[in-house]
Amino acid sequence: MSKKARSYVEFLYILPFLILVALVSYYPLYGWIYAFHDYMPPRPISKDTFVGLKWFAFIVENPVRLADVGRVLTNTFAMSGISLLFSWFPMIFAVFLNEIRCRPYRKFVQTVTTLPNFISWVLVYSIAFNVLSSTGAVNTILQNLGMIEKPVAFLSSKEHVWFRMWLWLTWKNAGWAAIMYLAAISAIDEQMIEAAKVDGATRMQIIMHITIPCLLPTYFVIVMLNLANFLSNGMEQYYVFMNNFNKKSIEVLDLYVYNIATSGRGNYPLSTAISMLKSLVSVVLLFITNTASRLVRGEGFI
Amino acid sequence: MKRFLSLLLTAALLMSLLSVGAVAEEKPLLTIDVYNDAANYNGIQTGWFAKVIKDRFNIELNIIASQVVGNTIYATRSEAGNLGDIILVDKAKFPEIVEAGLARDISDKLPACENIMQFKNQIDVYNKGLTGQDGVYYGIPTEMTDTSPVTLTDDVIYSSPMLRWDLYKKIGAPKLENLDDLLDALVKIHEIHPTNDDGDPAYPFTLWPDWDGNDNMIGIANVVQLTTWYGEKIKGSAILKPDNTFSEIYNRENAYYTITKFLNKANQLGLVDPDSGTQTWDNVSAKLSSGRADLMWYSWEVGFWNSVDRLNQGNAFIFIPVGDQKYYADADRYFGSDRMFGVGAGVDDEKYERIMEFLDWYASPEGATFQHDGIEGLNYTVNEEGKFVPYKDNALMDNLPVPDEFGGGGYSDGNNAINQWIVSSICVNPVTGERYAQKFWQSYKDMTMTEMKKEWSEMFQAEDPVDYMKKQGMLLASPSVDFTPAADNNDIIAIRSDVNATLCEYTWNLIFAADDAEFESLWDEMITQMDGFGYKDLYAYDCSVWQPEVDAKVAAAAAME
Repeated sequence: MSKKARSYVEFLYILPFLILVALVSYYPLYGWIYAFHDYMPPRPISKDTFVGLKWFAFIVENPVRLADVGRVLTNTFAMSGISLLFSWFPMIFAVFLNEIRCRPYRKFVQTVTTLPNFISWVLVYSIAFNVLSSTGAVNTILQNLGMIEKPVAFLSSKEHVWFRMWLWLTWKNAGWAAIMYLAAISAIDEQMIEAAKVDGATRMQIIMHITIPCLLPTYFVIVMLNLANFLSNGMEQYYVFMNNFNKKSIEVLDLYVYNIATSGRGNYPLSTAISMLKSLVSVVLLFITNTASRLVRGEGFI
Repeated sequence: MKRFLSLLLTAALLMSLLSVGAVAEEKPLLTIDVYNDAANYNGIQTGWFAKVIKDRFNIELNIIASQVVGNTIYATRSEAGNLGDIILVDKAKFPEIVEAGLARDISDKLPACENIMQFKNQIDVYNKGLTGQDGVYYGIPTEMTDTSPVTLTDDVIYSSPMLRWDLYKKIGAPKLENLDDLLDALVKIHEIHPTNDDGDPAYPFTLWPDWDGNDNMIGIANVVQLTTWYGEKIKGSAILKPDNTFSEIYNRENAYYTITKFLNKANQLGLVDPDSGTQTWDNVSAKLSSGRADLMWYSWEVGFWNSVDRLNQGNAFIFIPVGDQKYYADADRYFGSDRMFGVGAGVDDEKYERIMEFLDWYASPEGATFQHDGIEGLNYTVNEEGKFVPYKDNALMDNLPVPDEFGGGGYSDGNNAINQWIVSSICVNPVTGERYAQKFWQSYKDMTMTEMKKEWSEMFQAEDPVDYMKKQGMLLASPSVDFTPAADNNDIIAIRSDVNATLCEYTWNLIFAADDAEFESLWDEMITQMDGFGYKDLYAYDCSVWQPEVDAKVAAAAAME
């Protein structure tokens, strides 16, 4: 077979994946067309409904609305930033979990921390409501102990919303995220640890100088993956925990887009326009990361 | 293994043959998609109501509930060109559905539907307004009454302050002149009734946020409803004052301010359930039925507590007048409620025929009895005079099991999932000569003519709440007119959504404001924010949209005098 013919055949190997990418990643971009039309169901879009950049101007022209979008972006960056900042937490958790000598207890801790990952956010909220409402377990215990007189309104508190959301996320995800690190720990060469022990290293020294350095490559891969999802921090969690008291600090981009498209009759063009903002910010982020990578490692990844 | 498989296959084949044979005698089983803005249940109708329909028409209903699966279903289905076989939508959407060619012209079959055509007058008025032509029919209004546009048949109105009679008497049955008196009374009630019988805390006010901004009214549902105590009714983003003029919702002279302030004072006195802002309606309904609320304000809310037993024991909820109030109430919805029935444009002739047959039955005395009264022998019995007598009236509340002969399952689970009627429950059932709704039956009145009601009548010198309001000149009954508000365009939708979100967010924070100074400064901040989002434009738009309705109501009232 000539070289040229072979390259055609090899192209056919990847063709299914190209089609898949085109269908799943590029075809939906067609939906952006709605941002340029005055679309109102049940009337389909047509030439008459084309309005150009009207909806983009709609966001920018009004200072109050622009400030609102700014607030939403701040929330998104802040909450994603906090998770990124604390992304080492599951790793450390895995390291310490691995140090538990009593096997049944270790298994128990691992199961208990992994389970919340399989509960949906809606159920997490109903658990939260039952535990933290004015007649919930926490308030009842505190009141019975005489530590507080009036029930504390945990769920409608405006304070530390971002941090509390991170706590919930960690409660739900930490055990699950640790699984990857536990696998990486078990792949560490026993001989290194044996040798360190012979040389008289303490457990802390083994963790500091062997376990964690061995986990770092895994850690960086996961951080990279998280970075890619920086703006897509999901909306379920914020949707269920949102109320009129914490709304200002909890509304993230995905939730904002959802609220615009579904409240009342729903304005689809505007919500499409705002969701396009997300792609724009993502591209900017990508370039920043790439530049940073070039500066630090000497090479970019695109 | 192979043998087992082949056996299984044969059995399956036989089964399918058998089932085909059984149905082939009658009309084939037909599944009707019902696009439904009223339903709280999505999927195939099950239980006793499914059996009622299947036995009569061999039809099953597939409910597509926008309230369950989200409003976007309206966009996706209309984009696909087929909303459903039966369409039940908010009235404001109906003209655009007809315009987009999604609803079928039903002029040929509708006039022959005798049961539906008992409301010919209302149907004619609506369709004439829709198409401008006589004799062309697209829509069937819902919950029409057989009374008149200015009659008020009910003995209670939609929203009024209601207290528990035993608690009200225990604090000395004080005469209430204004909202401050009501607060004083509630403070005393809270003192003597801090918990329910199980020891769970009870509060005069337990509020919920899930319904905020609903029903063409911006603002939080609990406050919006209470503005009617001062004769003010919210229309979109405007407040309609008793003198039929509009005013901005955030104006400090209006009832939205009065009521928010009232709730804030209540909260400062510790009368508001601290979970109000975070709980859902489901939590609230559980609290209502376990006696953890001391004040009710929707007429239907009492259904979660009042029962024949409690009326006898004297601890049921009942209207207690507040002297300075003037209650806004809608007269009988002669022209129907805010939704419309239509038939989808995509149905073929055979399906169309069966749909119209079904809809006509739906409006028949038999159909209406199933919808409003339930099943004979389960929800009511018939006495020698042929009148209905209540029986197990907790079937819906407690989801009582239904015997297999009626279709099995729970009563509430199997209840009519369409959740909207053509015939209102205040219409007279020609079979019994009494109205469909149980509370109008003579038998029910006899059962509930309790000591409590007698005491109430004696104290207030009136037969029932509406009678009292009429005698005291406290009732503002608004006539029923045929009116469809214009649909918002995208600009208005965006502004309305932002303004509503701002108003709701601030109102909740206002209710929980620590003191009057914080309250006032938050209120000013709210006005600035709402204006920033374009409230002024929205207000002007809403005034122009709702003015024709006001004019029609004034004309209807004048015509009756």
